[in-house]
Amino acid sequence: MLNYTFHWNQAFKALPQMLDGAVVTLQIALLSMVLGLAIALALTAFRLSGNRILSGFATSWVEVARNTPALFQIYMAHFGLGNFGIHLSPYTALLIGIAFNNAGYLAENFRGALKAIPDTQARAGRSLGMTPIQAFRLIVLPQMLRVAFLPATNQMVWAILMTSLGVTVGMNTDLAGITQELNARSFRTFEFFALAAVIYYIIAKLVTLAARLVAARMFKY
Amino acid sequence: MKLSVLALSLLAATALTSQAHADKLDDIIASGTLRCAVVLDFPPMGARDESNNAIGFDVDYCNDLAKALGVTAEIVETPFPERIPALMSGRVDVGVASTSDTLERAKTVGMTIPYFAFEMAVTANEKSGVKSFEDMKGKVVGATAGTYEAIALEEQVKAWGAGEFRPYQTQADVFLALSQGQLDATVSTSTVAQANVKTGKFPGIAVVGKAPFDIDYVSLFTNREEYGFINFLNLFVNQQVRTGRYAELYGKWVGGEVPDLSVNGVYR
Repeated sequence: MLNYTFHWNQAFKALPQMLDGAVVTLQIALLSMVLGLAIALALTAFRLSGNRILSGFATSWVEVARNTPALFQIYMAHFGLGNFGIHLSPYTALLIGIAFNNAGYLAENFRGALKAIPDTQARAGRSLGMTPIQAFRLIVLPQMLRVAFLPATNQMVWAILMTSLGVTVGMNTDLAGITQELNARSFRTFEFFALAAVIYYIIAKLVTLAARLVAARMFKY
Repeated sequence: MKLSVLALSLLAATALTSQAHADKLDDIIASGTLRCAVVLDFPPMGARDESNNAIGFDVDYCNDLAKALGVTAEIVETPFPERIPALMSGRVDVGVASTSDTLERAKTVGMTIPYFAFEMAVTANEKSGVKSFEDMKGKVVGATAGTYEAIALEEQVKAWGAGEFRPYQTQADVFLALSQGQLDATVSTSTVAQANVKTGKFPGIAVVGKAPFDIDYVSLFTNREEYGFINFLNLFVNQQVRTGRYAELYGKWVGGEVPDLSVNGVYR
């Protein structure tokens, strides 16, 4: 039972502002993915290193990142660190929170992908005279990235949606932040939120589509 | 045969018309419950005591309203941004939630005459060097998202062209950020500022002065088209002042000089 008359023209008037927010959202998601991928690769290397401290560090990162809510991680990046006098701006806190989360999930992706590649691949490389590092870099890594690519795009979509949690740490320039402010001013909640949902949906769909195209190009035999 | 058909259709017609006449005021009285949207993160207007009961000016006000209607009050906790969705989705009947009566909002919901008025105060972190409203220029400032003062302060920061504005989700987050030094200063209602400084939960902050924003008159709100109910609410607000109950509640929760709810030189 919704007792409400929709005023769409008011919402559409704010569309340019919301699209500006969508750009910020996409920017944070992309940056967090770049950071997340780099950290995840490092974490995977740590786990393979055989060093107990390094692999323990990597395992705890993955455990915390995957088993606590993203909201908590972002909140801690802002208010948790703030307690120790480390002040991150909402933008940075959000970026770091999501990158932390991404790294955990992507490291797990990489681990799964590594398991999917038979040991014989590396051994075949070795028998061709490659060093262990060469065999990993030239034979195993490309295959691993191929297996991990599509699951990683899932994480990218997830990162886009997670940016909406930035409002909890005072973020007001991304899509969720702008939507919330428009709502506070006019109380046209349903129009603005519906519009925001459509924009999130379109971004997520476009990202998935782009990833499919890239995958089809990059990973064909 | 013909007579029974006629009788039946007559019966159906009366049933339909009587249903069409029942408005929200009727519905509330018939259901025996008044559901109020109250923000419980906004002391002294709305808060929770040690045993988690809802307390505050708005809570008492809702109870008074329910008593006037002869029904029981049900407090529905709504954070600031959720007040309107709660009303629109039919989860609450009326908002007793310190809602500023802006024209922009009145396009969406029906506002009563003001039932409370706030003055705005600047609270600053003691290390920030902010001693007055003007000192906030160029600093990192914040307020609770969706409030009157947040909208006004953000516009002020834009007008200054320096500094940064951050909206946080709850009043508690604003004061936490302020206490940690993530924010240099905030503008909030003076009642809220005093209440939060007094709790001692947020060390290193102090109320440093008034903010030169207009007096923030706040209204009860309900669905825009419910004239019958809005009419009742207006009279209720009037009676609260007339009977001295408003002053009594103000003394109980806030203290000091009771703000005037009327504006000079104009009718409402």
